[in-house]
Amino acid sequence: MQTSSVRPRPGGVDRKTLSRATQYLVRYRWQAIIPYIFLLIATLSQLMVPRMLGNIIDAITQGTIANRLVPILNTIPGGFLDQITAEIGITEEQMFYSYENAERILITSAIAILVFALLRGIFAFLQTFTAERNSQSVAFDMRNELFAKIQGLSFSYHDRNQTGQLMIRATDDVEKVRLFIGQGLLLAVGAIILLVGTLVILFSTNVQLTLIALPILPIALVLFMFFGSKMGPMFSSIQKRLDKVNTILQENLAGIKVVKAFTRERNQQKKFKSAADDLMHRQLHVARLFSILFPIVILIASLGQAIVLYFGGRQIINGTLTLGQWQEFSIYLVFLFMPAAQLGMIITQMSQASASSTRIFEILDVENELQDQPDAVTLPEVEGRVKFDGVTFRYFNSGEAVLNDVNIDVKPGETVALLGATGSGKSTIINLLPRFYDPSSGSITIDGYDLRDIKLESLRTQIGIVLQETTLFAGTIRENIAFGKPEASFEDIVAAAKAAAAHVEIMAFPEGYETPVGERGTTLSGGQKQRIAIARALLLDPRILILDDSTSSVDLVTEAQIQEALDELMEGRTSFVIAQRISTVINADQILVLDQGRIVASGNHEILLEESEIYAEIYNSQLIGDIDDEDFGEVEFIGE
Amino acid sequence: MFGGSHGISRLMGQETLKPQNVGVTLKRFAVYFRPYWFILVVAAIILIGATWAQVESPQLIGQMVDCYLTPGAVTALGNSPLAEAGGAASGAVTNCTMESDPAGLSTAERLAGLLKVSLMLVGLYLMTAVLTGATIYLMNWSGQHVLRQMRVDLFNHLHRLSLGFYSKQEAGDLMSRITNDTDTIQQVFNFALVNVVSGALLIIWIAFSMFQTSFIYALVSLSVVPIMIITTLWFSTQARKAFRQTRLEMGSVNAELQESISAVREVQAFSREQENIENFMETNAANRDANIRAVSYTSALAPTLQALGYLALAIVAGIGGVFLLRGQPLFGTVLSLGLVITFLNYVQRFNQPIQQIAVLWTNLQSAVAGGERIFGLMDIQPEVVDNQDAKTVPTIQGRVEFQNVYAAYKEEDSVLNGISFVAEPGQTFAIVGPTGAGKTTLVNLIPRFYDVTGGAILIDGLDIRYGIKESLREQIGIVLQDTFLFSTTVMENIRFGRPDATDEEVIRAAKLAHADPFIERLPDGYETVLGERGSGLSQGQRQLLSIARAALSDPRILILDEATSSVDTRTERLIQKALEGLLENRTSFVIAHRLSTIRNADLLLVMDDGIIIERGRHAELLDKKGFYYDLYMSQFRRSGQSKELGIEGQVLEHMPAAQD
Repeated sequence: MQTSSVRPRPGGVDRKTLSRATQYLVRYRWQAIIPYIFLLIATLSQLMVPRMLGNIIDAITQGTIANRLVPILNTIPGGFLDQITAEIGITEEQMFYSYENAERILITSAIAILVFALLRGIFAFLQTFTAERNSQSVAFDMRNELFAKIQGLSFSYHDRNQTGQLMIRATDDVEKVRLFIGQGLLLAVGAIILLVGTLVILFSTNVQLTLIALPILPIALVLFMFFGSKMGPMFSSIQKRLDKVNTILQENLAGIKVVKAFTRERNQQKKFKSAADDLMHRQLHVARLFSILFPIVILIASLGQAIVLYFGGRQIINGTLTLGQWQEFSIYLVFLFMPAAQLGMIITQMSQASASSTRIFEILDVENELQDQPDAVTLPEVEGRVKFDGVTFRYFNSGEAVLNDVNIDVKPGETVALLGATGSGKSTIINLLPRFYDPSSGSITIDGYDLRDIKLESLRTQIGIVLQETTLFAGTIRENIAFGKPEASFEDIVAAAKAAAAHVEIMAFPEGYETPVGERGTTLSGGQKQRIAIARALLLDPRILILDDSTSSVDLVTEAQIQEALDELMEGRTSFVIAQRISTVINADQILVLDQGRIVASGNHEILLEESEIYAEIYNSQLIGDIDDEDFGEVEFIGE
Repeated sequence: MFGGSHGISRLMGQETLKPQNVGVTLKRFAVYFRPYWFILVVAAIILIGATWAQVESPQLIGQMVDCYLTPGAVTALGNSPLAEAGGAASGAVTNCTMESDPAGLSTAERLAGLLKVSLMLVGLYLMTAVLTGATIYLMNWSGQHVLRQMRVDLFNHLHRLSLGFYSKQEAGDLMSRITNDTDTIQQVFNFALVNVVSGALLIIWIAFSMFQTSFIYALVSLSVVPIMIITTLWFSTQARKAFRQTRLEMGSVNAELQESISAVREVQAFSREQENIENFMETNAANRDANIRAVSYTSALAPTLQALGYLALAIVAGIGGVFLLRGQPLFGTVLSLGLVITFLNYVQRFNQPIQQIAVLWTNLQSAVAGGERIFGLMDIQPEVVDNQDAKTVPTIQGRVEFQNVYAAYKEEDSVLNGISFVAEPGQTFAIVGPTGAGKTTLVNLIPRFYDVTGGAILIDGLDIRYGIKESLREQIGIVLQDTFLFSTTVMENIRFGRPDATDEEVIRAAKLAHADPFIERLPDGYETVLGERGSGLSQGQRQLLSIARAALSDPRILILDEATSSVDTRTERLIQKALEGLLENRTSFVIAHRLSTIRNADLLLVMDDGIIIERGRHAELLDKKGFYYDLYMSQFRRSGQSKELGIEGQVLEHMPAAQD
């Protein structure tokens, strides 16, 4: 999957959106703080380990010397003793102390390491776990909000935005924000604690050596920021080429028959090979970069070690550093390098998270133009009188009018047939009725209620819609029929299915009404889907009906059944039909002939046939006779 | 490499598979790697060098301590007559090998020695870095070349496979399997293999070096390692199980999102928003919980290993220290400070490779399993192959003869049962019958998408099994019901019919197919890039493009699978006009849905259950009042209305007839 959205400027961090995203964590109050407390304990325990190790080594060194010296102390000339103590950097008293206690110190320190290791282990686990739980909760909340928002957004919003892009926001973008809020932030704090703690310990142990080791900090930081900023583009450039390879593969698998029929194998193979080559070269490019960057990283880390070992070694020889401190330093150096590296990576992560949260809030902040008015009333049971009064409609309220001053008056129970070429405005009329859009000017009323003054839900539950392309949802056939009325009884569902001529075929499935359908279920044919859609609308028992009477590719018998079911459905309801069938047109109470957004003729079949030239022409050309194919009307282009 | 816990979770979140036959699959991989053997040998040598440098550096630090840093007085004391006089423990307290007499060094000499060892250390570090980089690159280089070759081979092989293979496989399944398998292999070639190989080498070498130095001390130091391995294996097994669940849950979240967004119009039309939101919250919560559960394993792993690592440090330092302090040899090994520090360094280096190998091991397994499946795919033999003595099919006149043809997709289940007919050049044959009658199978035999299981098909007298497939198919044009378009420009999609066609020829074909007017109205005309599978075009428009494509290829024999679905009446008439133009002067087989095609056909073949039950012209068959008559009339059960209006014949004109 690929984001088509704009890549964030490197380092372009919007603090406002990030802090707004952080609010999702802050909501959890003390639960949000807990990982930070655990983090503190875990980090401090970790900081103690090298110190203990240093103690052990010092105890060993000094103890060994003391063990040798103390028993023979009397035999050593005074001057020599002074020389020795100076060289080791301890006083005579310390030596005696070591002699007595070396083993005890050693064992205590070893046990202390164990205790700190245990503490570190337990709290690091708790910290990661609680942080993950929090971050998952943040993602959960964000996703829910996005889902609810997207579900409620108007048609015109969905017209402008593709499913894929909205999906990416609810998946990839949420994940990026989650990683940052849940882990990145915590890691950053942890890194800073570790850095500061290490620096305090180092400075208090040996200022000179610390100053020598310090330059490693900014180098690591910059190096990893560079690393992090390269990584994203590198992988997305690979992904782009991988997508290309996969697209060709996908097309050749799905379209294998076409490829074989036109004997295009060789041509496609060449195309695939060049895409595969391209991918490989990109991979190698990345490998090259990585095989240079990675060694530099380890080199810098280990050069730091070498420098500390050398200058520390000098100090040991001069007697200003003990062996234990020397080893301690070398471990603490790792504690400087690692957090610096982490911070470098987190900064990159931050700019990604910032861009992602911007995209998420973009959706959450969309003003929904189709909302219930504060004083909206519930539409009472509909009689079925529908009036369009001077309705003009422009998509996004701009550009050419798709509907132009349309006036319609339909009495309860009447059938209105809409005729016209694709793009003439038929579907717009149909979309305005359930208030999927609001007219740009003019008004639509049902039983005298202006659609804008009533509650959306009370309107839409009384309108049934059957379109030609039917989406079935993941679930059983029964659930799909009950889609608009989940509380319907099984008897009602069966009755609706029977009326829609779907019952027999449903029962032919081994699991009958409980057959799973949708993306992961049984695949139904276009005709079967259509009948389920009819059953779905029938179950609602709507007063107003909107339908497309064309039938998907089905065999002859089924076709006849569907037509019958549709006629049944229209019986006694106010119906708006996008007419493809001659019988619908002939039987309609009103026929509206549309052309370029205007009603160019209206009336019933007999009247129109006599009075309207346009109707007569359409009737003859589209419905009955041959057409003049040079005069091919507007063809719809759904793209963009 | 720098993976915190989320790095681990990402790796463990991947699909895992167990290979069946590792040996055979590895041999197949080896064949692919053979051309790059030299590179691999070089990589191996370099890797050994890099590992040597890594093993050597702790030794060097130990030398640094024992030779130059242990206070001279101590060493001096240890060897001095004074010490012996005092009864202190005897024996060497140094493992210094770089200096013959470390005790006798002056401060200046010790400083110089320190510098020397430090520079050697820098040299080793530099060597490690450079050689590691080189190993990464070389292994990647050969791995990527191998993968590229495997991809290309697989793709070419997929083209060779017959349609019989594809009828048994869902294209989507096949696709996701292939991409999944190549992805796992890709990952292994990218980093898993390098990490596992170099990590394993390092661990073995370090362990060897430790055991060589002091068997018992090494044993004690490494006592934690088995616990580390067992812990890692246990955690990663559990984590993978838990992550399998998260994948399923995430799949549900995605499916629900996809469904609710793409069908948002229906959701709103039926006022289902609230129910959907509630359902989604459930799925979403399940996803959250599964993730939290899975992460409890991964977030435990790293801290546990770290704690175990510290435990190892404590053991090395504690036990080593006690023996050193007491001046006792550890089961015969004399400990020195330098040795203890060397071992401390070694133990610290163990942690990471163990963790990496444990995590990546399963990825290696999955890659082998993926390879196994890909090789398995490559081993499938195409059913339709050219005979060795197959001839190029000469320019086809168009006489097509079926001689008692049988066909079956599965042996026991025959679809065609003895079909015979002769189509003369230029004739149009319409094939009619209910779903499952064998219409599509019949037309699929002509371009040899399948071979007959009995009887023979002759084109201009030549049994097509003795013609080279490619030369046969080049002369046959096919317009399928489900038009397949590629995600490229309109121009290229039409040109698919004949790659060497000029732009003018493409446009001429589009005009012939009546596709030109709508193409001109597209945002970029012929250069408009179509979305995935032609999205952005209506069904009718796609069909017109498909016809243009067939027109461009100017075939001698034409096969049409007509379809009227989702096409408005005007477009349908247009398609029909386009087809009429295309049918002229070619032998054509049409799975017919339109009355005009049926009426104009030279012969109608009415099929049921794999045999031709009636044949003749439309009017003859209607007169016969047989199967065709029934089939045909079934659509007019409610025809009273139309009859009253006296428009029967005309209404029928646009009624779809039987189809698959």
